[in-house]
Amino acid sequence: MDSMRTDGEAGYGPTDWLGGWRTLFWSCAALLACNVFLWIWDYNFAFTAGLNSASRDFTLHYRTLFWGELLSVGAFAGIWYGWLVRTGQALKGKEITPREEVRRIAVLWGIIGATSLSLYIEASFWPNWDGAWHQTMVRDTALTPTHIPMFYFFFPLSVVLALGAYLYGRFRIPAVYGAEKGFPWSFFLLIAAAVLEFVQVAFNEWGHSLWLSEEFFSVPFHWPFVAYGWLAGGMFAVWGETILRLLGIEKELPKVRELPQQTAAAGGR
Amino acid sequence: MATAAPSAAAAAAAEKQRRLELRDLLNVKYRYIDRTWDVVFWITAIFIVAGAADITKLLFAGDWDFWTDWKDAQWWPVVTAFATIIIPSALQWIQWVAWRFPTGATYTCVCLFMASWVGRYFQWHVAETYPLNFVWPISTVPAAIILDWILMKTRSFVITSLVGGGAWAILVWGFNYIPLAPFLQPAQFMHHVMTVSDVQGIAYIRSQTPEYLRHIERGALRSFLGETQYVSLLFGGTLAAIGYWVGQLIGRYLAVWPIGRYLKTY
Repeated sequence: MDSMRTDGEAGYGPTDWLGGWRTLFWSCAALLACNVFLWIWDYNFAFTAGLNSASRDFTLHYRTLFWGELLSVGAFAGIWYGWLVRTGQALKGKEITPREEVRRIAVLWGIIGATSLSLYIEASFWPNWDGAWHQTMVRDTALTPTHIPMFYFFFPLSVVLALGAYLYGRFRIPAVYGAEKGFPWSFFLLIAAAVLEFVQVAFNEWGHSLWLSEEFFSVPFHWPFVAYGWLAGGMFAVWGETILRLLGIEKELPKVRELPQQTAAAGGR
Repeated sequence: MATAAPSAAAAAAAEKQRRLELRDLLNVKYRYIDRTWDVVFWITAIFIVAGAADITKLLFAGDWDFWTDWKDAQWWPVVTAFATIIIPSALQWIQWVAWRFPTGATYTCVCLFMASWVGRYFQWHVAETYPLNFVWPISTVPAAIILDWILMKTRSFVITSLVGGGAWAILVWGFNYIPLAPFLQPAQFMHHVMTVSDVQGIAYIRSQTPEYLRHIERGALRSFLGETQYVSLLFGGTLAAIGYWVGQLIGRYLAVWPIGRYLKTY
């Protein structure tokens, strides 16, 4: 670790905690901050403003939150994807040093780590409150206090993170995810896991409007929700194929000419 | 016998050579592969493993795990055994293929244990004010240790599914019967004899899950009297063996098979 600190322009090595892994910490910190905010919001307002969807308080606290979430996730996706593609196009065709490629793999693992955290929050943390809420409270809307953070913030955010991770890899780690190699099954499964959830969310709300007002949580029309937990196995394939690339980089090291100025030229992207 | 000795010696030499190669592999000095990759992988994987395991448990067996008065002799051992073995089985495959670690089930169940308690504490207890002794989650960790031990000793996924699957239902039920037992004690309430857990179910109102939805001990199986539990465990064991292979399909084809494969080339 110490030896890595000395051989780079940026000050930190590609696998230093404040080097390549910085993305992991900041992205997870941001996710946790959003989650804590939403939990405290629900804790404060779910019982006082979230029971009657026809009330002014509900509009003020929950419809506003719903639109705020969708707009903020949409804006984040637009800005991030725009940046990834624009700067990624500029990197096309440029030679990558092993050091820089390792750093980019670490950044990709950071985005995947954040995706993992987001999937946990949407698959375990909020479904627990959703179960507790809907087994005890009468619903009069699809936009219930527990659905709004879960279905309309963390579900779309997981799609955005998974697709963003692929865009990052496509432009910055071409040896594994370059366009000429095709679309990887790993990301196909991971993205499909998140996208399929929209189908299931729609089916779930339709199902509740049709069959049940009471909640039997393990009811069969809830079962398809498990698909995203299972398809997210693609995340292990992302880890696996990038580990293989790391081993490939190590094998190639003696033959590769180092280009120490590239990290600085790439702007640390 | 004359040929057996040289072939045995050759096999021993080959084994020794392989051990030396493995030892060399341990001592390889990498420039960029260090322990930070291990730390990041094992910690970040906790979240997706916990999420996958918990959503599978919640949606296939959630109601029987949420409340003490749903933990019955007929349905709880059946649905829980199937729902909780799927993701541990997938991780058994992944960790066995990647490192020959017989730890996949234990790793998963520890992740699930933590996620379940975070959910129950913050959401059911703090947010919804249910007492924890009414909504505590089961633990599958002891059963997972034994499932991993079976894989380690047999090195066979088929035997692990058959023996381990059957054992899983019994062990998950058995280890969780210990914390459940106090809630199955008889109590008199409104001139009726019922269990302590039944009293909890009446005392803590679930307006969206009325009593007629409580899916426990229904049908003619109750006429089996004391045998109900064992019939349920037997069926739960067979379902767990099937669930084990659902998990294997996830581990093999959704996690490991896609490595380095591409959907379409341009």
